[in-house]
Amino acid sequence: MIRAEHLSKNFGTLEVLKEINVEIHKGEVISIIGPSGTGKSTFLRCLNLLEIPSGGKIFIDGVDIMNKNVDIPKLRRKMGMVFQSFNLFSHLSVLDNLTFGPVKLLGINKADAKKKALELLKMVGLAEKAYSFTDELSGGQKQRVAIARCLSMDPEIILFDEPTSALDPTMVSEVLAVIRRLAKEGMTMAIVTHEMDFARDVSNRVFYMDEGLIYEEGTPQQIFQNPVKEKTKAFIQRIRSFMYEINSPDFDLYAMNGEIQHFCEKHVLTKKMTNDVILIVEELLTAHKAQTDIFDINLTLSYSEKHDTLLITFESAGPECNILEADGDDNLSAIIISGLTENVEYQRTGDKNKLNMYLRKN
Amino acid sequence: MIITKTENNGVISLALAGRLDTVTSSLLANELDSLFEEKIEKLVLDFLKIDYMSSAGLRVIINAQKKVQSLGIKMEITNVHESIKSIFDITGFTKILTII
Repeated sequence: MIRAEHLSKNFGTLEVLKEINVEIHKGEVISIIGPSGTGKSTFLRCLNLLEIPSGGKIFIDGVDIMNKNVDIPKLRRKMGMVFQSFNLFSHLSVLDNLTFGPVKLLGINKADAKKKALELLKMVGLAEKAYSFTDELSGGQKQRVAIARCLSMDPEIILFDEPTSALDPTMVSEVLAVIRRLAKEGMTMAIVTHEMDFARDVSNRVFYMDEGLIYEEGTPQQIFQNPVKEKTKAFIQRIRSFMYEINSPDFDLYAMNGEIQHFCEKHVLTKKMTNDVILIVEELLTAHKAQTDIFDINLTLSYSEKHDTLLITFESAGPECNILEADGDDNLSAIIISGLTENVEYQRTGDKNKLNMYLRKN
Repeated sequence: MIITKTENNGVISLALAGRLDTVTSSLLANELDSLFEEKIEKLVLDFLKIDYMSSAGLRVIINAQKKVQSLGIKMEITNVHESIKSIFDITGFTKILTII
């Protein structure tokens, strides 16, 4: 359906897209993920020529859209686009936002356009807002209107450019639910997103973009469970993990606690779980300090949403020592850790001591 | 951590507020050291505003318990939140301390 060959895009001397070679087939749902500034949105905007590529070719249904003789508006009609910032007409009602394009560009009569618009609004759960102005809607409602407006043009593919990034977290799910429904109905979609769970659930393929390239692509399972390339691994790991280095016995405990708390809040852990994690980490550090003066410690917290588990990894350089078995005279830290965790494992790897433990669920 | 001391007929009450952890527990230890130089009959540690306690705090508490026993002073810990109570339970201190 869409094929990009050697696609590149420069902004002045800045090379944003280097060498994109990719094909999107009819009925596929593609999620495009990756760090900020790696060309994800630019790639999407190049596909419908909102940005003119600096080089390469884009074919839609076999037609080279960069050929000067091609009717670009006609080709664009095959592709709808949903933007982060909605881009609705604020001076028009919701209904008029949906009928404007079909009437003006597709030549559909007003009555038919209205009938279809009302059906689409019903589909996105906003039929009762048909006669409201867009400024009267919440962010989530605006984005659902934007999706309905996109559908009113009967696109063959929809390009979503971070459709939930501008939304309050409470409104993200209502928009994702609409996109999920479209995926189930077989709509071809390419979605730039930071919603990793959504990308994993809804996509057939995932493109991980980095360095201006599609650095790695694969099924959601391949990209999220078994990424092959280093940068993909690091990105996927970073999403779900918290890492903290402690290089001095005089480290800032409260700064670390603040970051742990932020990580726990991000994953909606309860206050008790958060408190327990902070306590376990403090006890690990206390037990460590009782054994050695060497402070070369890497702390990692890894949360699995699927299993609702939190893995705490405490890795420290120095002589071989399981700090939980060689705790100080009262063993208090080890007792507390043992009470709050399960499946504690000690490993000696190279010159490092490594403790893995799971936060106990209460 | 903030420690507010009140005295009434030989009963010293320390109302503790904040965190009792590696950083702050020495404040309580110092307060208790100076207190044991006075003549007191009973010591009350009010935990109403303590929302976090690590082993560092526990060590201070258990040392205080040993000290009061040797001096023949009663010590009570009051208004303990459930999260703190569970730490006393895990470490077995519930049996040693008088927690009300």
